Amino acid sequence: MDENLEITKRRNTFYIGLVLLFVVFLGRLAQLQLLYQDVYGKKSEENSIRQIVRDPLRGNIYDRNGKLIVDNRPSYTVTITPAEFHTQTIPYLSDILSLDPELILERFKKGKLYNRFTPIKIKRDIDFRTLSILEENRGKLAGVDYLIETKRFYPTDARAPHLFGYTNEVSDLQLSEMPDEYRLGDVIGATGLEARYERVLRGRKGFDFITVNARGQMLGPFNEGRSDIQSREGNDLFLALDADLQAFAESLLNGKQGAIVAIDPQDGGVLALASKPDFDLSLFGSVTPHDLWSALNNDPSKPLFNRATMTRYPPGSTFKMVLATSALQEGVINTSWSINCKGAFQFGNKVFKDLHVHGPTNIVEAIQRSCNVFFYQLMLKNGFERWTRYGKELGFGSPTGIDLFEENSGLLPSGEFFDRIYGEGKWTEGYLISLAIGQGEVGVSPLQMACHVATFSNNGIYYTPRVVQKILEKETGASHSLPIQARKLNISPHTLSIIRDGMYRCVNVLGGTGSAAKIQGVTVAGKTGTAQNPHGKDHSWFIGFAPFERPQIAICVLIENAGFGGAIAAPIAGLCMEKYLFRSLLQYKEAAPIANKENTSLKNIQ
Amino acid sequence: MMDNWIKENFDITTLLVVLSLILMGFTAVYSATYDAGASTFFHRQLFFAGIGVIIMVLTVIIPFRTLQLFSYPLYGISLIILVMVLFTGKVIAGSKSWFGIQGLGLQPSEIVKVTTILALASYLSNPRINLSKLKYLLTSFIFVLIPVSLILLQPDVGTALIYLGTLLLVLYWAGISKFALLTLLAPAASAVAALFGITAFAIVIAATLIILFLLRENRLLSAIVFSITVVVGVSVQFIFSRFEPYQQKRILTFLNPDADPLGAGYNVIQSKIAIGSGGFFGKGYLQGSQTQLNFIPAQWTDFIFCVPGEEFGFVGALIILLFFVILLYRGIKIASIVKNRYASLVAIGIVSSYAVHITINIGMSMGIMPVIGVPLPFLSYGGSNLITNITMAGLLLNMYVNRKEY
Repeated sequence: MDENLEITKRRNTFYIGLVLLFVVFLGRLAQLQLLYQDVYGKKSEENSIRQIVRDPLRGNIYDRNGKLIVDNRPSYTVTITPAEFHTQTIPYLSDILSLDPELILERFKKGKLYNRFTPIKIKRDIDFRTLSILEENRGKLAGVDYLIETKRFYPTDARAPHLFGYTNEVSDLQLSEMPDEYRLGDVIGATGLEARYERVLRGRKGFDFITVNARGQMLGPFNEGRSDIQSREGNDLFLALDADLQAFAESLLNGKQGAIVAIDPQDGGVLALASKPDFDLSLFGSVTPHDLWSALNNDPSKPLFNRATMTRYPPGSTFKMVLATSALQEGVINTSWSINCKGAFQFGNKVFKDLHVHGPTNIVEAIQRSCNVFFYQLMLKNGFERWTRYGKELGFGSPTGIDLFEENSGLLPSGEFFDRIYGEGKWTEGYLISLAIGQGEVGVSPLQMACHVATFSNNGIYYTPRVVQKILEKETGASHSLPIQARKLNISPHTLSIIRDGMYRCVNVLGGTGSAAKIQGVTVAGKTGTAQNPHGKDHSWFIGFAPFERPQIAICVLIENAGFGGAIAAPIAGLCMEKYLFRSLLQYKEAAPIANKENTSLKNIQ
Repeated sequence: MMDNWIKENFDITTLLVVLSLILMGFTAVYSATYDAGASTFFHRQLFFAGIGVIIMVLTVIIPFRTLQLFSYPLYGISLIILVMVLFTGKVIAGSKSWFGIQGLGLQPSEIVKVTTILALASYLSNPRINLSKLKYLLTSFIFVLIPVSLILLQPDVGTALIYLGTLLLVLYWAGISKFALLTLLAPAASAVAALFGITAFAIVIAATLIILFLLRENRLLSAIVFSITVVVGVSVQFIFSRFEPYQQKRILTFLNPDADPLGAGYNVIQSKIAIGSGGFFGKGYLQGSQTQLNFIPAQWTDFIFCVPGEEFGFVGALIILLFFVILLYRGIKIASIVKNRYASLVAIGIVSSYAVHITINIGMSMGIMPVIGVPLPFLSYGGSNLITNITMAGLLLNMYVNRKEY
């Protein structure tokens, strides 16, 4: 009997538990279905309206002559819709797309779990032949479809991958920073102009709202399309760039490591900005294939690195004009001050060499013939502080402010800097002697050198270099010119004319080191540089401008580990200036290399 | 006359409720898969139900004494199968718990549910067993812990929880003392509370302390129970960190589903939308946009409850709830009226297994339980599960037929 009582007690506990369970579930059911039916009903309705995002076309890019250099072309992306797709067709499909069947199966399974009616992308950017095979076999390939997306297309020979830049899928970090502007899978500018002018180029997304029925079939536009939001094309960029010169400069650098920067000395417009080795942007698409990117990233020649703006190399003798300017402007010397160069200079127990015995040399001759001994002695006379001050005035040690994110400030040593790295009082004047000829700690980029030489050519105005001249607003058709930023240097016309004289003689007078930069019919002025560096042969530099009387182009050429500036960099600079000024080559007609887009080490990595 | 005989020997209510639930399952599975794969799923479910009903007839006919005789051997065989699946099974949804036989999946952990209940009932029905002795309590735990640990190796936390829940209910029925029950429940409660935060944890610890004080048990034992409760709660975070990421995510998402609306919280949110939008009468059969547009991934298995919830509304969901309540009520009743202790324990084991499944599954669909992959008896698609549940129903009917036997 006791046992029975016990059982009854426990049975009742179970009954109570059962009633409690029923009451809780009933209450929750009533809460969801009766109290909040309108809330959930609305959410479910929203679910049955499909939102289709219409990506806008990115803005085009034109060169200074209105030539289209970056635009968009359709690119076909193959998709499969899991609800309609049959796995038996995978071998056939993988054959057509030359895609791993495992990958197709994996994507299919993933998509099926998520939403069987949403097409999943399985391959981007298929070629036209593949597309037509797909079209012909539509009947056999249920659920296989393609989407038209766009990818960047580069119609001219100008590759300029570092300048134009590429786009990529928006990162998680960017998404968290700009949650209102981007969604997962969106494309965003990653480098170069694509990144710097992302907001200008990207345009505005559009949305189509489609009603779907219970089976997921599209019935037609929701609200007769009145709720749709039109997409808006991105705005166009008009560059200062000369696409022909850019392509030509790139072809001159083929097979070399180095950079060429040409700017318009009258407004700072970037005429050419080439860096080699480089890469072929047309292989990138809107989303960079991962293996291509990592191949480029791991390449020891660093093709992704923009040598025109990011390097920090010793400029060698091209830097001598900084000291010359400082000494002349501060009245340390005048043109009658001269030294007798015996081919070497002894300071303490150290001997600093020169390439030649130059004999009696004044400042103009020192620039013309690149006399090291003259500048060794001048540095000691001039002093460190002045040198640093004028280096800064001429744009070194800080970014130029070009409209690209990728830029290095370089390094302009000062007394404080030496105190910091060597310790106060632990460095001597001997440390300065190398700086006089652009060796030692000083580091510059070709862009900085081009801006520097432009200020001599235009009589002392430092223009902030700019790639983009104006922006064309697609919606209104209005174009906005971007402001020219200029800084008048604290250097007298007299000082500048002495420097220019030296540069003139460097190219045009017997004994000058830059004669290889000469062009017929136009006077060129310039300065060579041969910079020693710990990584192999000397870097070859040339900076210059033309025409001498009314300069239209200022240029800097850097060829890494190539040897003498006068022998390697100077003729390349001459060719570029000739090409720009005459739009053709007069003197080097036969020997000139032809701009060639196919010349790339990386082809069709997919 | 005949009528009376049937009434006397068959629990007609339970039989009709089970058959109705199976039919509702058919309609729900058909709707949930009403597109490309509908006929395949539907026909398979019909096929499984057919097999289940055949097995049910056998389980009703078989004398329960014979069944008791075979309880341990069946348990042993099913464990061997469970070990085999670890080595040869197929991986489905991250869990290696399936045998592939001619394209049909067989999930041994479902079948082991029945054999474990039988073996446990057989053990506990021995009059020698005194649950106030630790030895016997531990042995009864081991019956469950062996399959549970094998299942956790697969790994399938949902099924493991079902076993433990069932065990606790069966032990209660078998006459475990309040102190022992507290010993089992307090650490579990503290583990769950620890996941919710320090306040919940503190409340559980305080409650344990008060109850221990009121029970006035041996002080040393009380102290041990209390320490275990604290240690379990503290180490839960550590164990939690060793979980599979998807399990971690499910637990955390349960605590705050809205934090991850596109990831792990997605299922619950869509499930609540489906049920909520059904309203009073529902959207009509095959008209539920949530169901038909597949907003709920793999809805035909774990989230099947949304289908009637959305398409038949409050009325449909309530009918299903009532059927389950009647089934459980009849099960408890049978367990309490059968004269044989083994039969009683089998019956309560089956009721408990149903109850835990139903509570977790429907609770999960309505967003008041964590998302644990547990099927809804008779409604969810899945052969092994359906056959197992029908078999269990057959056992309930068997116990009813033989209710007067000692």
